[in-house]
Amino acid sequence: MDNKELAERLREIAGKDYVLTSDMDRMLYSYDASLEKAIPDVVVLPNSTEEVSKIMSLAYREKIPILGRGSGTNLTGGSIPVKGGIVVHFSRMNRILEIDIPNRTATVEPGVITLDLQTEVLKKGFIYQPDPASQKVSTIGGNIAENSGGPHCLKYGVTSNHILGLEVVLNDGTVIWTGGKSRDNPGYDLAGLFVGSEGTLGLVTKAILKLERAPETIKTMLAIYETIEDGANTVSAIIAEGIVPATLEMMDNPVMRAVEETIKVGYPLDAAAVLIIELDGMPEGMDEKAQKIMEICKQNNVREVKLAKDDAERDLLWAGRKGAFGAVGQVRPSYLCCDGTVPRTKLPEVLNKVMDISKKYDVPIGNVFHAGDGNLHPLIMFDERNKDELKRVLKASTDILKACVDVGGTISGEHGVGLEKLKETSFIFCENDIEFERHIKKAFDPDDFINPGKMIPEPVCEQ
Amino acid sequence: MNIVQLRKLSYDEVAKCNKCGFCLPSCPTYLVMKEEAYSPRGRNAITRFAIENKLKLSEDTERSIFSCLGCGACTAVCLSSVKTKDIIFQNRECEVDEGFYPKIIDRLVRTLEGSRNISDDDNEDRAEWLELIKDFPEDAFEKEHAEILFFVGCVASFFPMVQRIPANMAKILQNAGVDFTILGGDEWCCGFPLIGAGMPEKLEQMKEHNLKKVADVGAKTVVFTCPSCYHTWKHFYKTDVRLMHASQLIAELIKDKRLTLKKEVNLTATYHDPCDLGRNSGVFEEPREVVKAVPGLNFVELPQNRMLSVCCGGGGNVEMTDPDLTAQVAQMKLDSIKDVGAQMVVTACQQCVRTMQTRAKRTKSDLVVKDLTDLVVEAME
Repeated sequence: MDNKELAERLREIAGKDYVLTSDMDRMLYSYDASLEKAIPDVVVLPNSTEEVSKIMSLAYREKIPILGRGSGTNLTGGSIPVKGGIVVHFSRMNRILEIDIPNRTATVEPGVITLDLQTEVLKKGFIYQPDPASQKVSTIGGNIAENSGGPHCLKYGVTSNHILGLEVVLNDGTVIWTGGKSRDNPGYDLAGLFVGSEGTLGLVTKAILKLERAPETIKTMLAIYETIEDGANTVSAIIAEGIVPATLEMMDNPVMRAVEETIKVGYPLDAAAVLIIELDGMPEGMDEKAQKIMEICKQNNVREVKLAKDDAERDLLWAGRKGAFGAVGQVRPSYLCCDGTVPRTKLPEVLNKVMDISKKYDVPIGNVFHAGDGNLHPLIMFDERNKDELKRVLKASTDILKACVDVGGTISGEHGVGLEKLKETSFIFCENDIEFERHIKKAFDPDDFINPGKMIPEPVCEQ
Repeated sequence: MNIVQLRKLSYDEVAKCNKCGFCLPSCPTYLVMKEEAYSPRGRNAITRFAIENKLKLSEDTERSIFSCLGCGACTAVCLSSVKTKDIIFQNRECEVDEGFYPKIIDRLVRTLEGSRNISDDDNEDRAEWLELIKDFPEDAFEKEHAEILFFVGCVASFFPMVQRIPANMAKILQNAGVDFTILGGDEWCCGFPLIGAGMPEKLEQMKEHNLKKVADVGAKTVVFTCPSCYHTWKHFYKTDVRLMHASQLIAELIKDKRLTLKKEVNLTATYHDPCDLGRNSGVFEEPREVVKAVPGLNFVELPQNRMLSVCCGGGGNVEMTDPDLTAQVAQMKLDSIKDVGAQMVVTACQQCVRTMQTRAKRTKSDLVVKDLTDLVVEAME
């Protein structure tokens, strides 16, 4: 089937206004927030599960690569159509279908923007916890595919801990439900398998999400450090004390400088690092806990700990943190965000290594990350247009992930493997591990047409 | 402008876009159309692809680039502060040179160069709105010399729906005892539509003419009810004369007790920041001070206000090139006003008034749409 006929068939399914085929439109779906690029043959914007099912079964019959896309904020190339084919843009399937407070669930379509859902449920005093930094633009579908985390996942867990049920369109167009509103479902935990599968097993068309009551009290602190080590040691000390704050985020000097260029948060520009520590929960005992944390900070040579006075101050502290990735654009036009995880006691060691790597390859690196989880996000800043620099950046990125693995960590915290870290999977998986993942992929998609080329490296003999 | 020039002018700026996508939910046209081509990130990508010779300008790129409302919300939320609106308007100059632009713009240019206004009326009829004011002699506001020049702007001069705005302004200035005049038939379009049309070079003759007229009148201040005229003068005219938006002058008159608002207006009202007054010119507080000075009025803010205000849909010449898109954006605006429980929306722009009032009427909404000057006159009388 040629592209013209394919587009015609898709128009019959989704309507003529919702199939995009021009050179321009196809190029506009060739990128996401990573450095990868590949142009699809056609883009379709379905409006219902039924349409998605028909699109999928067409792709299945014709063996045309297909992948789902939300807002295209992926950081590892997960939404890049490396083998061409169909991009399914879920922007029209953005309805919140139900907010069921007695059962504490929300049922949504995949194109719902994470923050839009959070805003709606908060009106009723509830929270959908996973809060990726991109929450104001990322979609629930994308969060599910990548098993997204966020600052509050230290205490509340990542996306997989908040998914109760999924409606999924399988490879041949069959629609299944896995899980549901009840908390304990018999059979395989298929929802668990789909979450974090990077869109390689099927297309999610509805999700039942878990809601929790919004905390009565929140206390947000900014702790300022002269050295990164002191900040990192504080993180381990807090957790060792048995306190689990809602967040433990760290930001180093280069990132604070970039953020201050755009948002005047008031980060101390002469400090080496800051921690954003947030406590949430019942008001009882909160002051004591905050006091204890401040003591731990002092034992670890903190320069100063500030408590946000009100919501406005808290929002400002967070605006800086959540905008940090974009803000590095003030320093250099492009960035590559590494996403490695280490045992939190190893943070000082690995951060020093990151600085060595920065010097070795002569590329500036800033750090902003979920310190409580030991989830690093070194941001390598450069200009994509400089090919030599790009080469050095990619090498630096590999070295950083290797450094994480060397201390017992792993190559991804939440951004997935996508395209950018295929090679690095060899740092953590042996051939048996990867072969088993291939079996699972084959069970769902024997023809390898659903988001092909992602997450699982091809066998060596075929490369 | 050709691609080589565009590259020189915009390449470094557009390369700052790291495609994070944070601008998507801030863009009214993306929210309505739901396609990347209607997003700021998409428009930046088009410019970059064109500069890198990966994509030719075409009717497709025209559709995307000319659908931008020029509201600037994308830059307000962009952490790299990419000047997307400026890049898009520079791209428009390229599209124009290659013939890819809405042909209705040709008519606009002919009209502006022929009649010196956007509506192709006889420019001598600019002060037609004076007929709305009965109490004053016809030539009361067309003086040879005055302290303040009131620059009326084309839309308020010629569009019946909003001719009341200059009439209001004249009443307010008269009431406060301000020495002012208007230019009548000697006022020419400020040239704002030409910037959005991708032909900023044609603005020069307008600018020269208008600046000469200000000098003739000897005015020390020029006041505008139109935010886009105000913005154009402020950013492109490079003059030492004091430039003020009506909201700023009215706030000053209230502060100096030259104007008192006595009559109660017992409604719940919100304020819509016009893009060219708020985000693009930095005037946020004065209009709010005026609204809040009206007795009896219960003021509520929209959730997205000031720098994050959502365009009414009337910007960027889009109303002329794609009226359906404008209508859908306006509907989003009306919905957000309804959500905060406001019975009335006050703004400080004749174009926002037209866009919102037209939509309210078409959907039989009972929302009251007022210009700031409407409200002041009502509370003054």
